[in-house]
Amino acid sequence: MAQKSFRQALNEALHHEMARDPSVLLIGEDVTGGAGANGEKDAWGGVFGVSRGLLGQFGPERVRDTPISEAAFIGAAAGAALTGMRPVAEIMFSDFFGVCLDQIMNQAAKFRYMFGGRARTPLVIRATYGAGSRSASQHSQSFHSIMTHIPGLKVVIPSNPYDAKGLLLQAIRDDDPVIFLEHKMLYDTVGEVPDRAYTIPFGEARVVRDGKDVLIIAIGRMVLVAEEAARLLVAEGISACIIDPRTTSPLDEETLQEFASEIGRVVIVDESNPRCSIATDISALLADRCFDDLKAPIKLVTAPHAPVPYAPNLEDAYIPTPAAVADAAKMIARR
Amino acid sequence: MSTIEAVTMPKWGMTMTEGTITSWLVTEGDVIERGQEIVEIETTKLSNVVEAAAEGILRRIVLAEGTTAPVGALAAVIADESASEEEIAAFVASYADRQGEGLSGQSAGTSSRTIEVPGGQINLVEAGAEGGETIILLHGFGGDLKTWMFNQDELAAVGRVIAIDLPGHGGSSAVAAGDPVADILIRLEAALDTVAPGKLHLVGHSFGAGVAALLAGRRPDRVSSLSLIAPVGLGKTMNRDFLVDFVAAERRRPLQNVLERLFADPSKITSDMVEETLKSKRLEGVPECLSQLADAIADQTGQRISIGDTLTKLTCPVLLIWGDLDKIVPLPQAGEVPANARLQTIANAGHMPQMEAASAVNDAIVENIRRAK
Repeated sequence: MAQKSFRQALNEALHHEMARDPSVLLIGEDVTGGAGANGEKDAWGGVFGVSRGLLGQFGPERVRDTPISEAAFIGAAAGAALTGMRPVAEIMFSDFFGVCLDQIMNQAAKFRYMFGGRARTPLVIRATYGAGSRSASQHSQSFHSIMTHIPGLKVVIPSNPYDAKGLLLQAIRDDDPVIFLEHKMLYDTVGEVPDRAYTIPFGEARVVRDGKDVLIIAIGRMVLVAEEAARLLVAEGISACIIDPRTTSPLDEETLQEFASEIGRVVIVDESNPRCSIATDISALLADRCFDDLKAPIKLVTAPHAPVPYAPNLEDAYIPTPAAVADAAKMIARR
Repeated sequence: MSTIEAVTMPKWGMTMTEGTITSWLVTEGDVIERGQEIVEIETTKLSNVVEAAAEGILRRIVLAEGTTAPVGALAAVIADESASEEEIAAFVASYADRQGEGLSGQSAGTSSRTIEVPGGQINLVEAGAEGGETIILLHGFGGDLKTWMFNQDELAAVGRVIAIDLPGHGGSSAVAAGDPVADILIRLEAALDTVAPGKLHLVGHSFGAGVAALLAGRRPDRVSSLSLIAPVGLGKTMNRDFLVDFVAAERRRPLQNVLERLFADPSKITSDMVEETLKSKRLEGVPECLSQLADAIADQTGQRISIGDTLTKLTCPVLLIWGDLDKIVPLPQAGEVPANARLQTIANAGHMPQMEAASAVNDAIVENIRRAK
């Protein structure tokens, strides 16, 4: 099967769905990618190259560049969704959720509930997240926990190219607003991705790796960190199971519960800040439902409760590492 | 000179590049029987037990527990008492020299490709060298060529082994509407004419075994031997619920429940196996395709494919391999086994003996191939 990057996988999903469904359109800052490229339209395909080739194929009516006002174009996209379009809006950095949160939280997320269940809002908001690219504290944050907190939104956070394509296709076909989060450091990761279209249902966790001594639940890019930690643990004679929830809303509570009860030792790895986060949320869920099966305290390995630092050495120290995950696993594995 | 046999890091499927020794089930000095489980190995995707391919004394463990090594690396040495310590040491040293010469990564001679035939694409994986026998592997309903992960490299010892994704499965394109079985036969025949024009040994599993038998009936001139693992088409009874539930399962847990019926020991099912099966079932068009095929395999009254008469007319060796605990296609009744076919049952195996009892099945296939000479 063809090896493709995370970026290519997303690009394929957009191409496929725009060709299949004329109501799908892209809207955002620099999604055409023409600006700054010597007048060549479509040269970049957006700042991260995800929308490459779409302007040329589908034209400026369906691939729309906007002024720098997230509040305006997210509001426009939410309205378009209400009228029956399927807009895919792009917020270049999820750090800018702040300037359009009213449109997301008070408008798009509420329509289905406030209009008696009769409004559909098939809106996808794609946004990058995460530290590691030396982009400082206003362009490096992980806000999936905040978005997960808001009812009415679905939150998708893929960890690999295969999932990225299948989840984006599902997101576009979904009739509710979906926040689709892409870690900047994942764009160049490569994996097997079928040429054909496929969808992955929301709320279905993936068992990344079987293991019997400790369960590592990891979110987004942290799945890669967990995989590296699992390799370190093999040398210690500890076999780690890894689960990637893939969507934090809806959350596959059943699978998390099943594996936590079976294994009895749990480490949760997440890049968002730890107060009121998806890591603490999953921890609370498992403590509540699996208490009698747990053999050790649930360990959290997360970023600290601090903004992402700009100094490279501090930024590296901020992000959970494989060694930190392995240490947490070792602490509980033999209790 | 004494016979010294290597136990090496196996290659389970195209993507396996290395494995980690999790535990040795035997110690140095133990007498080893052929087929005995000797070492447990874990990859990024699964953990499985390696069976001894030779008998003798386990003279040396080269890879200690916890060691990760590339595919093909020497893990242990089996030899009889007559081999001297010096001979063993020289054997180990000769392997050390070979490290890094194509041992790591994808083993030489295993390659994947997709070919165009009238009606669509056929995806296949080849292993082994040309010049010896040519062996064709056809997987069952809903599976793909990864069914043969514990067999293909082993069978490559006797020749070129081509595992094929049936139309509508894996990397091959969908089956045509109407008569899916006929479409599969036509496209496979075209594919085999392209990639393997000479004499063939056909090996099939379940529905793929039915297909292999029908292919042999169409082209008896091309088939040297036929090895059918739990084939459809001999009796009328089969577990049709399995087909229906398999098509319907869209998520991990329900699919796991369905896949468990395939094995005598359900713990053999890895999460990776479930995820890989879901991946192929999610592809656009595949559920519809499988549904058609399920209807062609069995309806309310039982199996619709029949291979008994076809087999009776064949003159090549015909072997039936069956797990005695098969819950999908039950062991044939007296009178259902054609007179020219031999039936070999595998103890404590379900519908997937090629995975559950790989070395016994590999040995049986190789023996059947030898009978053709």
